[in-house]
Amino acid sequence: MRLPAPVLLLAALALVPAPPLLAQGAAGVTLGVRLVPDPSRKDGLLPEARVKGLLEDERWTSALLSGLPLRLHYRLELWRKRSSWFDAAVRAVEWDVVVRREPLLDQYAVTTVLLGRTRQQRYPGLDALGTALGVAYRIAVRATGKGEYYYVTTLSVSTLSDTDLDEMDRVMRGDTADPTDDGGNIGDAVSRSARRMLLRVAGLPIMRVEGKSEGFAVD
Amino acid sequence: MRDASRWLWRSSTGLALACLLVAPLRAQDSVVVIDPDAPLADSSALGGLPASVIEELLRTWNDSATTRLNGSVTLPAGSAMRGQVALYRGILRVAGSIDGPITVINGSLVLAPGARVTGPVLVIGGRLIRQEGSSLDGDERVYWDVAPVVRQRDGTMIVQETPNLETLGRAQASFGVGKIRTTIHASTGGTYDRVEGFPLELGPSFDWRASKRDRVELDLTGIVRTTSDRTGSHSDFGYRGRLEWRRAGEVTYGLGARAQGVVDVIPDQTLSRAESGWSSLLIQDDQYDYYYSELLGFYGFVIPARQFRVDLSWSRDQQSSALANNPWSLFVNDSRWRPNPLIDDGQYYLTAGAVTLDTRDNARQPATGWYAKAEVEYGTSENVAPLVLPGDVRNPIPTDGSYNYTTLALDARRYLRLSPEDRLSGRAYFAGWIGGDELPVQRRLSLGGPGVLPGDGFREVTCTPAGVLNNAQAGLCNRTMFFQVEFRHRLDLGWHTTISKVPDGTSGRVIGIQSADLVFLSDLGTAWLSGEGPNRVPNNRLPSLDLWQADIGVGVDFGFLGAYLAKSITDDGPLRFSLRLQRRF
Repeated sequence: MRLPAPVLLLAALALVPAPPLLAQGAAGVTLGVRLVPDPSRKDGLLPEARVKGLLEDERWTSALLSGLPLRLHYRLELWRKRSSWFDAAVRAVEWDVVVRREPLLDQYAVTTVLLGRTRQQRYPGLDALGTALGVAYRIAVRATGKGEYYYVTTLSVSTLSDTDLDEMDRVMRGDTADPTDDGGNIGDAVSRSARRMLLRVAGLPIMRVEGKSEGFAVD
Repeated sequence: MRDASRWLWRSSTGLALACLLVAPLRAQDSVVVIDPDAPLADSSALGGLPASVIEELLRTWNDSATTRLNGSVTLPAGSAMRGQVALYRGILRVAGSIDGPITVINGSLVLAPGARVTGPVLVIGGRLIRQEGSSLDGDERVYWDVAPVVRQRDGTMIVQETPNLETLGRAQASFGVGKIRTTIHASTGGTYDRVEGFPLELGPSFDWRASKRDRVELDLTGIVRTTSDRTGSHSDFGYRGRLEWRRAGEVTYGLGARAQGVVDVIPDQTLSRAESGWSSLLIQDDQYDYYYSELLGFYGFVIPARQFRVDLSWSRDQQSSALANNPWSLFVNDSRWRPNPLIDDGQYYLTAGAVTLDTRDNARQPATGWYAKAEVEYGTSENVAPLVLPGDVRNPIPTDGSYNYTTLALDARRYLRLSPEDRLSGRAYFAGWIGGDELPVQRRLSLGGPGVLPGDGFREVTCTPAGVLNNAQAGLCNRTMFFQVEFRHRLDLGWHTTISKVPDGTSGRVIGIQSADLVFLSDLGTAWLSGEGPNRVPNNRLPSLDLWQADIGVGVDFGFLGAYLAKSITDDGPLRFSLRLQRRF
């Protein structure tokens, strides 16, 4: 008797070595979001996000030293509180930071990507890199209309996996093709699948941390 | 549109970009200001050291009067140097005296006790360490940014070409000669399927950066099929080649040509190719149908804005039927593979256009934004050899050289974040015939299964007339439409543990899953035959409500794996379970 396909697929997947390691906010990594005065507007407030302890987590230093680039994807959102319904997202800003080690030069290259524009800096060691990654980001996204607001910032840290790389390639090329649609390219489909499975089996780390500011009112 | 506003990096003092570059990140107190509404900065100024500093160090190093040092050097106590000194890649330890300017490039300068320096000091890509008892009589400038320079064989220094971000982390062998980068890629094959098994792909690709804006790519891939064609009419080898020129800028555009001899899929909405491959490999359940394609074509594209893209293509495609073979499957080998349907063989001339809008924040796991795509295909054939289908499905198509058809596919998706934990997303989709003669088999459609309607069985709707045998479960409909909606709530599971390698537990490897999405879903869709005649829906009408299928379901999505239970609410089918390796849409 043939078992239902989904049951067999579940069983098969159970045999695959424990997949990954979607860990979040582990090993003391924190993402703080605090409100600071807006220098260009009286009584105005701006969010300032800063990640702490990232390189104290040995997963990331191990990955870097193993030659795996790290991708830090930041997303800051401004939310307006609504008492009678879901809170409303007002605006969002995203940016990426890619870190990789150049073993021949023993340097760390940090590339910041925002809306397809890049900025690259290099650092001679982990200390300097840690300092650079611990920099605070002050984002000039202001709450305007009356109401109660708060900021939420998420940081996704991962080794630069297949999909991240595809996405970054896409962004860098200004390409909008859906990478989840294989577009009939068999090689891409399976190559992506194989790499994804490899990354999972290899247990490469993925982490997501979130920080939320205090609420504030705009009159 | 996603925040398409311009951006600018500024220093914490609010000065402009140049200020940040002159005063790079030095300490934990540093602040980078991101102003998404600021005017666009000159992109050429967006990287690394200020250009003036690079020019200065090159001028210094390449000056014949400069004393050049390579690697780590120690100037012992009691020694003295006079004039301009520059060191590249190393640590310059000074215990004696230097009367002149010092430039350290990608290294550090250490002034030991007793050191005496009279002249300006410039340290790039390192640190200046002044120990007690040392003296420095001159300006000091220190940049942590490493200088993007390289020393040539003749000893002079030049700016190193900026690394190509697009090649970051690729697991393939690449090397460059001049402006051409060559990559040898070998992938562990195509998706596993019942026609060609596990195709292996190997070949080189060449990337020629003709200028800052112009790029030419040539991909040549050979394909080895692990399962042979039973009829012997097709080779075990396939190929794929592509030549593309692209000009980047505010408006990016490009032209290309491609040729391929591959096993192609009949486009239908189901699982992704990767998921279908795993399903085939593990449980002999292939979700797609296939045909051989020998194609030669040309294409062009325009990207006027980052989220918007227009594609046009023309191709000559020799399409022929492929038979299902009997490749090996991991867990199920005692039953037959589903037959692969025959197609209307012939040489087709295909003209296609597509418009895409994509404002999603993330393509794999979107939370906000729009995705919309419209595709039109106009096909003709002068030598089509049509299958004979029941009259209820298709009237005879012309074989006098006048055969043509037009299809349209519209896909619109909207992703909303209702709160930091809650997301709502919806999708509307239409595909099918809109003009010309009736569709060939390889452009016909079906509906049902884990891809779109997980509450229904695989290809529940194929438009097969009653009494007609359709062992291949071939999709015979010529139109389909469906709507999907999902509500996601993030659950903080905390299913993880830390394996510490150090006694105090402050550092370690984390294994487990901390969060997942609880998913509530519902789908509504149908596929039908449009046109005049019995069991058909007039071309300008939609099917009546009783012909639609609907389901509801619930699932848990861990990001890398989603498990869903769904039940049809229009049929008496069972509760169905499905696994997905990616989002449903």
